[in-house]
Amino acid sequence: MNKVPAATLAASVTAALALLSGQAAADGASKEKCYGIALKGQNDCAAGAGTTCAGTATVDYQANSWKLVPAGTCVTIVTPKGHGSLNKGDAPA
Amino acid sequence: MLEIQDAFTRALLERDRPIPPGLTCSNGLRPERRFAIHRDNVVAGLIATLASRFPATQRIVGAPFFVVLARAFIDRHPPRSPVLLEYGKDLPSFVEAFEPARDLPYLADVIRLEAARGRAYHAADMPPLDPQTLAVLPQERLPFIRFDFHPATSMIRSSHPIVTIWAMNADGSKPKPVEPWLAEDAMVSRPTLNVRVHRLPSGGGTFLSLLAAGSPLGDAVEAALSESPNFNLSTNLAFMLGAGVTTAIR
Amino acid sequence: MKPSKLPGRAGVGLKPQHFTAIVAARQPVGFFEVHAENYMGDGGPLHAQLGRLRQDYALSIHGVGLSIGSMQPLDADHLGRLKRLCDRYEPDSFSEHLAWSSHDGVYLNDLLPLPYNGSTLARVAEHIDLIQTTLSRQILLENPATYLSFAESTIPETVFLAELVQLTGCRLLLDVNNVVVASINQGVSPDTYLKAFPLHCIQEIHIGGHAESVDESGAPLLIDSHGSPVSDPVWRLFEHVIDRVGPVASLVEWDNDVPSWAMLRKEAEAAQKILDRPSKTIAA
Repeated sequence: MNKVPAATLAASVTAALALLSGQAAADGASKEKCYGIALKGQNDCAAGAGTTCAGTATVDYQANSWKLVPAGTCVTIVTPKGHGSLNKGDAPA
Repeated sequence: MLEIQDAFTRALLERDRPIPPGLTCSNGLRPERRFAIHRDNVVAGLIATLASRFPATQRIVGAPFFVVLARAFIDRHPPRSPVLLEYGKDLPSFVEAFEPARDLPYLADVIRLEAARGRAYHAADMPPLDPQTLAVLPQERLPFIRFDFHPATSMIRSSHPIVTIWAMNADGSKPKPVEPWLAEDAMVSRPTLNVRVHRLPSGGGTFLSLLAAGSPLGDAVEAALSESPNFNLSTNLAFMLGAGVTTAIR
Repeated sequence: MKPSKLPGRAGVGLKPQHFTAIVAARQPVGFFEVHAENYMGDGGPLHAQLGRLRQDYALSIHGVGLSIGSMQPLDADHLGRLKRLCDRYEPDSFSEHLAWSSHDGVYLNDLLPLPYNGSTLARVAEHIDLIQTTLSRQILLENPATYLSFAESTIPETVFLAELVQLTGCRLLLDVNNVVVASINQGVSPDTYLKAFPLHCIQEIHIGGHAESVDESGAPLLIDSHGSPVSDPVWRLFEHVIDRVGPVASLVEWDNDVPSWAMLRKEAEAAQKILDRPSKTIAA
């Protein structure tokens, strides 16, 4: 493995800083490129929920796992092996 | 009195057990219905906690499936601390072995990504590295510098397009087929107050994991280049500095 | 020992999603309350918000995880976290529950009931002593919402609480919603419970919503869900207490199905109206 010359690193640092200042000029738009920031409807605060001192009026979590298949958006996510969550022969829900 | 709490705890955690002796209802009714309120509180509260930490996961599998998954996880891994901010950190490995989810090979990595977001959200506050620090460094020092990583930063290397899958389930948009199906390494950062999720540039997974492990810049570049011929140092440095994943150089 | 010193006004539980609305203007609330365990991360937006609001408002920190009613020793790590949190924000009050929630290192995520007798009284008093010594402050202890009782109980809850005040110098947080929930579930009248309650020891009040269900016999069964507006019986009892004790810091609790800031504020304003009424303080 060849050592990368310091001069090459320095050139890359200069180029990186130039790239960065270009992004800073575009400002908000550059932040939007990073998924997760300012995504509407995805509240970062959600991760803050935790303990409460309240109880629940919700009863019945007795669903059976053995007959359960995932049924969310995964049915539209096509993996190289096909639809992930539907067994062969099942009609889409 | 200790025995009462022993028995109470066992009956809460193992729902098929009879309720502990010595419980009464003032109206003379059997106490089972009342005890069930506590059983529900335990499970419902923890399911809600997991749902709030893993919203994209819940959307991917659907709410009914998520409830079953969460319940199975809670049975196996009840919280060991009253601080629930990190509850669910064992969920990815649990899901890898969870039979009903076996057709979703990408799910565990999406959960790792969401767990990393939660960690970043509560991580210590530190100012990110000022990019100009690098500009004024003598050239001959560059191969030997090491970076301190920000406490909010984590990386998830995956053989699935996890950033794409996560993103289309996080913003409420309609998921589309993912084509082509490419491996994606994700990085989560929080340089200030907003948690960010990034798809790493080519070779970035190797480059940044070496830097995070304390390797000097020169070594990390060489390893990244030999592994990924498309590795572009400028792009990776610009990403690293722009995303605020580090705090200082040494 | 630092005494509890919340202003005798209406307060609300702080929810992160309300922060932007809250800081847009000076809000007509006397204090904010947060759950201690949600602020035990190292940093991030929650601390940024709380630090900001702390500059302008009184603060109550309300613990839900100390497990004071546990017969096993208190979790020293957790007590340490609590101390750091109190040192960081210097709240005007710290409160916890007469309940237990951890056992053998497992956190059960519910406020569980305990029998009331001589041996549990001694144990709980020991725990309160340790907490007050560690935090160097007087704490407030909250009456629980209960669904069950124990054959081993020999002391009424109101007496148990009064004894704890005597033994430890702590004060009480009267949760009026819990009074209604527990009394109806135990088949007694909430007024009877309140008559026996050591009202002169209360330094904070909680009011909130509960869910109504029925037991096997068709009798009402109330669940402390904090997911709806304050119910009428709770308002009525709250007024009655305020008539007796004068203005006391009073928190509107709404933790599930959290409404808009405007709606939560309206509940707090309704509570404030009751606190503002000309004093009808009745000698006990």
